[in-house]
Amino acid sequence: MTRVGNYGGRRPRSTRAAAAVAAALALSLAACGSGGGDDDAADAGTTGAMEDYAAGDQFKATEPVEFSILWTDWPEVTVKDSWEFFDVLEERTNVDLKTTHIPLSDHLEKRSLLISAGDAPEIIPLVYTGEEKQFAASGSVVALSKYLDQMPHFQKYVEEWDLQEMVDNLRQEDGELYMLPGFQEVSVPMFTLLVRKDKFDELGIEMPDTWDEYREAFLKLKAAYPDSYPLQDGFQGQSLLNYAARSFGTQAGWGFGDGMQWDEDAGELEYAATSDEYKEMVEYFHGLVKDGLLHPDSFTVQDQEAVERVERLISEGKAFAGSGASGTAIEWSQALDTTVGAGNYEVVQVPPPAGPAGDLVEPRNFWHGFMITKEAESKPHFTALLQFLDWLYYSPEARDMLRWGVEGETYTKSGDEYTLNPEYRLDIFNLNPGAPTDIQKDLGWSTFLAEATESRALKESYATDQAVEYIDQVLSTRTPTDPNPPAPLSEADLEQAALLGTPLKDAVDTATLRFILGERPLSEWDAYVAELEAKGLQQYVDLYNTARERFAENNG
Amino acid sequence: MVTQITAPVKTPDARPVGARDSRGYRVFTWLNVSALVLVTGVMLYPFLTVVAQSFSSEAAIRSGQVSFWPVGFNLNTYRAVAENPLFWANYRNTVVYTVVGTLIAMALTTTYAYVLSKRHLRGRGLLIGFAVFTMFFNGGIIPNYVLISSLGMKNTLWAVVLPGAISIFNLLVMKSFFENLPGELEEAAQIDGLGWFGIFGRIVLPLSKAVIATMVLFYSVQYWNDWFTAFLYIDEQQRQPVTLFLRNLIAGASSAASEGAAAQSAATQSISVNIQAVTMVLTVLPILCVYPFVQRYFVSGVMLGSVKG
Repeated sequence: MTRVGNYGGRRPRSTRAAAAVAAALALSLAACGSGGGDDDAADAGTTGAMEDYAAGDQFKATEPVEFSILWTDWPEVTVKDSWEFFDVLEERTNVDLKTTHIPLSDHLEKRSLLISAGDAPEIIPLVYTGEEKQFAASGSVVALSKYLDQMPHFQKYVEEWDLQEMVDNLRQEDGELYMLPGFQEVSVPMFTLLVRKDKFDELGIEMPDTWDEYREAFLKLKAAYPDSYPLQDGFQGQSLLNYAARSFGTQAGWGFGDGMQWDEDAGELEYAATSDEYKEMVEYFHGLVKDGLLHPDSFTVQDQEAVERVERLISEGKAFAGSGASGTAIEWSQALDTTVGAGNYEVVQVPPPAGPAGDLVEPRNFWHGFMITKEAESKPHFTALLQFLDWLYYSPEARDMLRWGVEGETYTKSGDEYTLNPEYRLDIFNLNPGAPTDIQKDLGWSTFLAEATESRALKESYATDQAVEYIDQVLSTRTPTDPNPPAPLSEADLEQAALLGTPLKDAVDTATLRFILGERPLSEWDAYVAELEAKGLQQYVDLYNTARERFAENNG
Repeated sequence: MVTQITAPVKTPDARPVGARDSRGYRVFTWLNVSALVLVTGVMLYPFLTVVAQSFSSEAAIRSGQVSFWPVGFNLNTYRAVAENPLFWANYRNTVVYTVVGTLIAMALTTTYAYVLSKRHLRGRGLLIGFAVFTMFFNGGIIPNYVLISSLGMKNTLWAVVLPGAISIFNLLVMKSFFENLPGELEEAAQIDGLGWFGIFGRIVLPLSKAVIATMVLFYSVQYWNDWFTAFLYIDEQQRQPVTLFLRNLIAGASSAASEGAAAQSAATQSISVNIQAVTMVLTVLPILCVYPFVQRYFVSGVMLGSVKG
């Protein structure tokens, strides 16, 4: 509590200092603008911007403008100046996109470097929620929430797709938004359980729906194939625990995040890894390992090797279920084609099994979005930039274009059906293989920009039938977890949270692994909790609860 | 010496023992040879696997059949990689960066080292201190980035070539080599009327082939392998070196197995192991070919600073 007091004491001073700086700036600005009158200052920043730009409008800059954008290079997609994408974009919007290239392999490092050095392009795309924190804290990106009134498409979809609460969750400690995310009309877990349904059918096992039923099914599979381990994970268990944890009412693996989960009864945030729900989950998976249903290597083999290991076991018939995305299902099928032959197997993507907490899956998600670097805010074309990004990220026409290209030329659309024209192909989704022109590699459509905001129709337009069915099943049989209430940390808190959180997370990871593999008996659970407490668990949890209360007070 | 070491290797079963081959010595040689063979195997294995993979079919690699020998032999992947214009553009860049970089680095390092080797030079301590200081302290990535970018060197050859032009380690090795050259030679040259540049160019450099060859090797390998400098300062794909291309191909693919990129993985087909293997082989090959030619200098280069007979 004393810390809070200290903090409260320090805060007004820094605010006052900031106010003084702001006042000085305003004075100097006023001094500069005194010759031209006040209207000039207000007009500044509107070069090329459209008047009365509204939802449904095609954005077109009133004069040619050039925007710079950070472009992540996927190894198999070489950006070409001749891409139709750049030409069509310029023709429709009067915007010439200038790209700064960073390789995918280390794009996060390079992005930080460019932004920190003040040398970043105006548009920073491919920003996932949470990644903006460090840049927001250092003030190197624009507080976009101040300009939402100039982004009509954004507002329209917040309302139409019921996203207001989720958007508010992205607000930083000062109540502002520093990144605008890509919207998903429907959001389902990307990684889930993939099973070889034909093996289940062969033994007359009805497709299970809950973790307990899966356990029964795995036991039967093990009995029929004694040298198999039915369940595997190719992501060090991170994926498995991620989707499993939700149905146990907690969070783990990839979805562990800062480790805070909402305790409804206590009305406060608690640390996930010490909760009863987490313990129950660990017990369940320990049971699977103990009975030889889940192979211990699932938790220890790393990276590409792990992915290939599972693929091999599946293709050899020594495993029948594992974690993966729809892409994984395709890879398994290719591997199975070579071993058991096409048509002799069936790989399906099933919704994450339900558990003690019910049919819960991860909260609805945003997709990657964008930030704007601070320097852009003072440029003459800033308003046009906002309007352009609003159009590019949120208008349905732009989304169709980014994914499929030019209607009538590369694709045709009738209702919600998108069809790629026969002379074009799209290798990443294996569409029209053999056609002469790839709309991604040759024309520049379907790049990462196409992913950000997607309507359900657009998402399903390139998915396999199996993936479409999976989306249907999840939406009809599963419930997304409610998101945690916002608890944005201040810069000082962030630093402290990182100092405390990292050793905690390490301890949790190690203990989770040892509990599940049976190297540490579950009777030592209390000792494990005590270890975490000795590492400053309470202090860490307090940081978040204080931040949550502070945010609730300041922002209602 | 040579025959002594190799004789037991060639005929390990030979019963008759030479007078000087004591039992202990034979055991030692045996252990030595087996250990070295083992180490060589451990080092060669991954490389041979990659070579084998580059000629194998994707399906065979995925099902884990490829170890030493190609399975499903084909050259399709080589053809596919060779058809990628970006690969060759980047390859050309690497060659240019390596050649220009090595030339500049050699010019700067030899001259600097020669100056430092003269004990009578006033301020020599300061010049050495100046160089050694940079071994322990540097500005850090962001200040360096700002520096390069304000010098207007971003996206140019110079950004890749200049920052690493003087490697202090190489400088010190050369300095001690020059110090060990007999001073009488230079005095004789001086008496015959050569100036300092003449002595350096006509006497010292020709006598220093061993160390120069070693340094050329060090520098060219350094420039050839370097991806980080280019990663920092080059924003245009067409100007990047092939190492960056390779890194993106491999690290970009394996990061698709982690979560941040899992996001993208649905939309990203995994890059085939073939393509990775072929690119690795093509990238490693040229610099690998340099080694045998420099080998004989290399040994004497490594002996630098040791007692000379």
